[in-house]
Amino acid sequence: MLYALCFLLFMIGLYCAVIKKNMVKIVIGIMVMEYAVNLFLIMLGYRFGGIAPIVDKGQLDLETGQIAAGFLNSSVDPLPQALVLTAIVISLGSLALMISICIRTYEKYGTFDITQIRRLKG
Amino acid sequence: MKGMTIIVKTISSWVKVLIFLFGIYIILFGHLTPGGGFAGGVILASSYVLLMLAFGREFAEENLSLPVASKLDCVGALLFAAVALCGLLYGAGSFFWNFIHQKYLVGTDYEFNLLSAGTIPLSNIAIGLKVAASLFLVVFALSMFRPEISGNKED
Repeated sequence: MLYALCFLLFMIGLYCAVIKKNMVKIVIGIMVMEYAVNLFLIMLGYRFGGIAPIVDKGQLDLETGQIAAGFLNSSVDPLPQALVLTAIVISLGSLALMISICIRTYEKYGTFDITQIRRLKG
Repeated sequence: MKGMTIIVKTISSWVKVLIFLFGIYIILFGHLTPGGGFAGGVILASSYVLLMLAFGREFAEENLSLPVASKLDCVGALLFAAVALCGLLYGAGSFFWNFIHQKYLVGTDYEFNLLSAGTIPLSNIAIGLKVAASLFLVVFALSMFRPEISGNKED
């Protein structure tokens, strides 16, 4: 059920990126699609009734050095969270590139409308 | 790019120091609490964006000039590569081997302190430096946009 809502968010972003004619709205549609994919990857590692995957000193058995078994049975998966953190910063860099392309196209053609940009100039 | 009124300048000169300190805290405690190099670097860059919005772009350029930010960017990347190469050279390990933890301090009871986990805080500092300098340069370059239309339009 939650995965279907995530897919709906992805479809909204896809609609914006394909149908709209303003260049800034296309960029917003692409960013909504990236948010939906990151949310889906984090939701894959969730466990119902789980705790945060942070180990503190109380859960470490000092004689043997093993982490208590209750932590492994009830924590969510931390690996998707670490990789999605990297993916968010990468999408920030690609957003900067898309915005600079929009700015340069506006300087050359004077409009944000993609139907007015016909011939290559500059 | 002009600055804002005197109320905004006074309050933001206090708040940007707190944002900078919070970014350094997120980077340094990256191996104990959530966060690490990426999130702390973005918070550091956002303190400079606040400086640029409240005081104008020329004041931010006097505070942290463009060649210095470029060199900090390169220093961060080279520090990360040097930490990875030290794992290759010291001991019989591979690339990115945690040589401080495995070779010198493996038996002592020092875990969950600030100075633990070997080369992970060094990697966090290098990544935070690089991300902060890169995002400051990106926002600075985007703020130099002047809305002049070059050439003549057809049709």
